[in-house]
Amino acid sequence: MKRWKTPLALALAVMTLVACSGERPTAEPAGEAPADSSSPKAGGRLVYGLSADANGLNPVTDQFAAQSYSMVTTIIEPLVSVDAAGDWKPYLAESLTPNDAYDEWAIKVREGISFHDGIALTGDIVKANLEAQKASPLNTAVFQPLDSVELTDPMTVTVKLKQPWVAFPYYLAAQVGMIVPPSSLTDPRTASLKPVGTGPFMFKEYVPDSRMVVTKNPRYWREGLPYLDEVEFRILPDSQTRAQTLEAGGIDAMGTTRDEDITKYGGQKDAYAVYRTQGMPVPEYTFMLNTAVPPLDDVRVRRALAHATDRAAVVSTLRGGLTEPADGPWPKDSKWYSDQGGYPDYDLAKATALVKEVEAEKGPIKFEVISTPDPNTMQGVELAQDMWRKAGIDVTIKQADQPDLINRAVVGNYQATVWTAFSSSDPDGEYIWLHQAYAQPVGNVSLNFTRFKDERLSKALDAGRMSPDEATRKKAYATVQERLRDQVPYVFLDHLTTGAIITRAKVRGIGEQLLPDGEKGLPLTGSPIPYHPFSQIWVTKQ
Amino acid sequence: MILAVNRLIRLMVVLLVVTFLSYLLLNFLPGDPVTQILGISATEEARAQLRADMGLDQPLMVRYADWLGGLLTGDWGTSYISRVPVADELIERLPVTLELLVAAQLVALGLAIPVGVAAARRAGGALDQALTAMSFALLSTPVFVLGVLLILVFAVTWQIVPATGWTPISVDLGWNLTSVLLPAVTLGCGQLAVYARLLRADLIATLQEDYITLARARGLSPRRILWRHALRPSAISLITAVGLNLGALIGGTVIIETLFGLPGIGRLIVDSIFSRDYLTVQGGVVLISVGYVLVNFLVDVVYAVVDPRIRRA
Repeated sequence: MKRWKTPLALALAVMTLVACSGERPTAEPAGEAPADSSSPKAGGRLVYGLSADANGLNPVTDQFAAQSYSMVTTIIEPLVSVDAAGDWKPYLAESLTPNDAYDEWAIKVREGISFHDGIALTGDIVKANLEAQKASPLNTAVFQPLDSVELTDPMTVTVKLKQPWVAFPYYLAAQVGMIVPPSSLTDPRTASLKPVGTGPFMFKEYVPDSRMVVTKNPRYWREGLPYLDEVEFRILPDSQTRAQTLEAGGIDAMGTTRDEDITKYGGQKDAYAVYRTQGMPVPEYTFMLNTAVPPLDDVRVRRALAHATDRAAVVSTLRGGLTEPADGPWPKDSKWYSDQGGYPDYDLAKATALVKEVEAEKGPIKFEVISTPDPNTMQGVELAQDMWRKAGIDVTIKQADQPDLINRAVVGNYQATVWTAFSSSDPDGEYIWLHQAYAQPVGNVSLNFTRFKDERLSKALDAGRMSPDEATRKKAYATVQERLRDQVPYVFLDHLTTGAIITRAKVRGIGEQLLPDGEKGLPLTGSPIPYHPFSQIWVTKQ
Repeated sequence: MILAVNRLIRLMVVLLVVTFLSYLLLNFLPGDPVTQILGISATEEARAQLRADMGLDQPLMVRYADWLGGLLTGDWGTSYISRVPVADELIERLPVTLELLVAAQLVALGLAIPVGVAAARRAGGALDQALTAMSFALLSTPVFVLGVLLILVFAVTWQIVPATGWTPISVDLGWNLTSVLLPAVTLGCGQLAVYARLLRADLIATLQEDYITLARARGLSPRRILWRHALRPSAISLITAVGLNLGALIGGTVIIETLFGLPGIGRLIVDSIFSRDYLTVQGGVVLISVGYVLVNFLVDVVYAVVDPRIRRA
């Protein structure tokens, strides 16, 4: 028995050290428990698990993914936000007023807003930001219609456009509309690591690939906000251990894309709350087809693929029945949805007939579909491969990592690939991905990745961009949906509502934020894992 | 002295070969950092401009020579993605990986030695068979399965250690130890089984040597014979394995750091491969190569300390 004394003593010493070392630095909420758990109470700390780190925190120089928005929007705010109905609303801006032709927008910023470094927000700072965004290589395509920015009065800038652009304010709700102080524009490298803004929280600490901590801004311009004293973002790339950390109490909330998390924690309503994306921000899971290369340059083959795809089976097999089959880029709960045209039904006989017709002319149909190597994606591709094989289409699967897959899509070096898209708040957000002006030949960089050139679809996109009349816009986007259904540059699978935020029950206020002028804000935005504002989140003591 | 110079020359050759091969392989991968930096909506002109700004339009050999020249003058380059000097990135993450490696080796050796000795003492007995079965079970359990299981038991069910996350020593020693405990045990368990098997086999052979029989005849206690006279000469294979296993351990840190959310070098290198951040990968490769050669140099020194016959030879 004696021989075990030394290791036992070591173990005891470690345990004693742990027991005596005080509270873990990433502490539990420090604030008092709210008297009434249904009303917001100031104080407390939130530890929030993210799946990946940001590639820099500067909205002018760094490409933002969903997790970047979660981290950065606590510190830096946009000119515009989107409300629960999906309409744009001013945020840092007090108003955005177009001229009659909608090719000029006067942006007036609110008085009395200061950056964390004490500099007051004024029109010339907004002008400098928009000009820096226009000059940024990140935005050359998106800001192509932007002509110039002029200071009209100390608090107002006028943006002049090369063409009417009704949906322009929606773009200012994202990265390009986020306003940083002059110091961040002159020293973008520092701003990438230590962001400064006007937001409810101020930067405290950032350890790449580990955590970012932000603390309450006591001089925040929205009175009484934020409720939390501090937010810590913890970078936990493995989805399984991220969920385990939530269960162990190491984090209070996390983002997920796993349907098993939604099912598991959704079933424990006393302990957890699950928030899922809805409406326009929901991305669509598709097979993107390169319409510039054989055999997918033949619309009959593309239609055969759509007819051979059993979307209901995909939903039940891959998503545990949690999502809805998609018949276009926008979900049925969106005001922009139209069933015009009708998406090809699952009909193996029709698919087989189309395949035979093409084969009689051109020989056997074979192509390669690209998938990322992760098991979930591979499962979906293999399921589709099996479905398409039943229609007589021979599909091989090629694995490529994410950067390779994106590069192939950009230069057209692919036939078909899995692709998640269409998560913009306004349909105009899909303009550069669908318009024929952005389709380039294979070998050249093309933002219209399918290289699908369609006059009617492009004219409808132009009409949607330029017309202020909602009925006209709805009609235009109904045409867009009809053309996508008829010409099938994308085989739609489902509306990917498995992007979710899961919190412990003590976390309140997610998705319930009010905008500065009192409207209810859009609960969740972004994909694959959604993000949301943090200023109106609060914690109860549980 | 001659040994040290020889080692240094060997280190240079190893570094040249390893860095050139890794640079070559990375550049064989399709794509470059431009898409990662600019996203999918950038135009052809913006991509070409950035590629030229970063020197990515230069031939491969020119870029490698530039990087090597910089390395010789102490400039490890700047990450394409984070725009932070590579040396700074590595220095920031080195303590995490080093602590994890040392802790994993301590766990593995701290358990392997008593387990190996206990098994060898009565080879073929019930304890030996039980420990052998345990060793094979550990060897055949993938680290990510073991990690998830350990988190489930110790963090979720018993809540005695944090499931994930990292607290630096500089912030709090106690919490640092708790944050490294599960990752180190997960990483060390696979090595524990290897070390215990090696030590057991060598000890069994040593216990059949004449001088052990003589020691027994002189009436020395079995415990004294085992720990004082048999263990040291039986440890050579174990020490070799400790040095050589460093490579396997570094490979393991990639998984462990991702699983437990630790900001270490393994994760940095893998993320950098995915984002085609060539210079950061190169920096990591240099660091690991130097570390590997140094550890194996130390292993040679330890041989001589453990076994005087090697010193005399």
